[in-house]
Amino acid sequence: MATMERRAVPGWITVTSFALCAVAIGLSSYLTITHYTDPTALACPDTGIVNCTAVTTSSWSILFGVPVALLGLLWAVGMAIVSSPWSWRSTARWLDTVRTALAAAGAAMVLYLVYIELFRVDAICLWCTGVHLTAISLFAVILAGRASLSQRRALAVDSPPR
Amino acid sequence: MPKAPSGPARAARATRSNQRTSSKNPTGRSSFSAKRPTAGPAPRRAEAGVTRFTRFRRSHPMWAALVPVALVVAVLAALVVIKTTSGPALATPAASTVTGGGAAATASADGTSALPAGVLSAVTSVSPATLAAIGSPSGVSSPVATGTRTPVIDGPDGKPEILYVGAEFCPFCAAQRWAVVVALSRFGTFSGLKATHSSTTDVYPDTKTFSFYGSTYASPSIDFVPVEEQTNQVVNGTYTTLQTPTAGEEALLAKYDTAPYTSQPGSIPFLDIANKFIAIGASYTPQVLQGLSMQAIASQLNDKNSVVATAIDGAANQITAAITAATGVEPHGAA
Repeated sequence: MATMERRAVPGWITVTSFALCAVAIGLSSYLTITHYTDPTALACPDTGIVNCTAVTTSSWSILFGVPVALLGLLWAVGMAIVSSPWSWRSTARWLDTVRTALAAAGAAMVLYLVYIELFRVDAICLWCTGVHLTAISLFAVILAGRASLSQRRALAVDSPPR
Repeated sequence: MPKAPSGPARAARATRSNQRTSSKNPTGRSSFSAKRPTAGPAPRRAEAGVTRFTRFRRSHPMWAALVPVALVVAVLAALVVIKTTSGPALATPAASTVTGGGAAATASADGTSALPAGVLSAVTSVSPATLAAIGSPSGVSSPVATGTRTPVIDGPDGKPEILYVGAEFCPFCAAQRWAVVVALSRFGTFSGLKATHSSTTDVYPDTKTFSFYGSTYASPSIDFVPVEEQTNQVVNGTYTTLQTPTAGEEALLAKYDTAPYTSQPGSIPFLDIANKFIAIGASYTPQVLQGLSMQAIASQLNDKNSVVATAIDGAANQITAAITAATGVEPHGAA
C-alpha cells in the first residue's frame, strides 16, 4: 500500500513539473535582476510589437508595491518546492491541494498579465511570455498529476487487502 | 515488498471498503462522496443525472483533468483575437508627435484653452526679490535627493533633463505646474503654454492651471520634458489619453515613483530633476488655489505676503534650488 502511493504519479510528471519550475525560476530570476538593476538592459528585440522594456517598466510591472517579476520568482520557487520529486512522493493530501492551487493561481495571473500586455501596455515581453508558457504548461502537468493521483488512490482503496 | 496492513490499519481499510461498496453508483464505479439512500427507482434517476461530462470524466480522467487548461488557452486565444481584430495594432506609432516629450496623443479634445491675458508674463517674471523674501516656507515640501552616485540624466538636447509626468485632471499636478513654471522660467523660456483645470469631480475640483501639452521650453542649460498622460475630459468613464511616457521615462517612473520618494507608488505629479532630485505630489496643498481664476493667482505671485505666493513661489524656490544643486546652473536673477 505504502509503496503504491509513493509511486502514485508517472515519472514523466515528476520530471516535467520540476524541470518547468526550474525554467520558470531561471526566467523570473533574470527579469527580477534586471528590474532591480537596469530594466532597459533586457536582451529583447524592440520591434514595436515586442518590447520587453515597455512591459517591464510600465506602471503595471508593480503589483501592491511588489515587482511582478519578483512575485513570479516567488511563485516559481514555491511551485518548485511543492513539485519536487520528494513532494510528489508525499501522501499528504494538503500538498496536492496546495500544488494545484498554486498552479491555478499562476494560470490566472498569466491571463491577467497577458490582458495587461495586450490592452494596456500595447506591447509583448518575450521573457514574460516564456514565463507565461511555462506556467500554463505547469498547470497542465500538475492537473495531469492530480488526476493520476486520484486514479491511483481510488485503485489503492478499491483493491482488497491481501 | 509491500505488505498488507494488519491490525487497526486493516480494520480501517475494511471499513472504508465497505462504505465504498455501499456507495457505488449505478455505473459500477466507485465515488468518494457517499450518497443518501433514496426510495423508488433511484438507479434510473441517478443514471439520468449523470451528465455527459461526468461520463467523459470517468472514461477519460486524464483528458477531463486538462479541461481547465483548455479553458485558459481558449481565453488567451480570445484575448489575442480580440486585440488583433479590433483597435489599433500593437504599439503602432501615432501619426503625429507632440512637442515636449512622450508618445503622440490619441485624444482629440485635450481640455485646454488659450491663456488669459497677462498670466504668462506674471508667472514668468516673478521678482527675484519676492522669491528671496519668501524663501523656503513651512508647509512646502522640497525634492528628495537620489544620492550622490546617481548620474545626471541628459535630455533630448544633451542638457540635464527635468522630467515632469502628470495629467490634466489631477489637482495636485495643477498646483505643482504653477511652481514648475515659475522655477523653470528662471532658467529658460516657455512658449505654447495653455490654460486648463483639474477635474471638476475630484478633490480640489476645477483648480486652474497650465497644461504642458503642446508647449515648448528653450533653455541654454537644461532640457524640460513634460508628459501629460491624460486630459480632464471623461469619455466612457475614463480620462482620455493624451501622452504616453516613453520606455525610458517609464523606467524612471518605475525606479523613482516609489518608496522612499513617495508613500504611494505610481503617484503623479512626478518631477525628476536631472536624476538627482525627485518630487512626487504637489509641494503644497492645492487648497490655496481653490476658487481662484488664473488671473487671480498670477496677480498675487509678486506679493510676498500672499498665501498663494508663499505656496507657489516657495515651491518654486525648492525646485530652483534642486536644479542648481543638480546641474550647477544658477537661475536668472540669482544674487
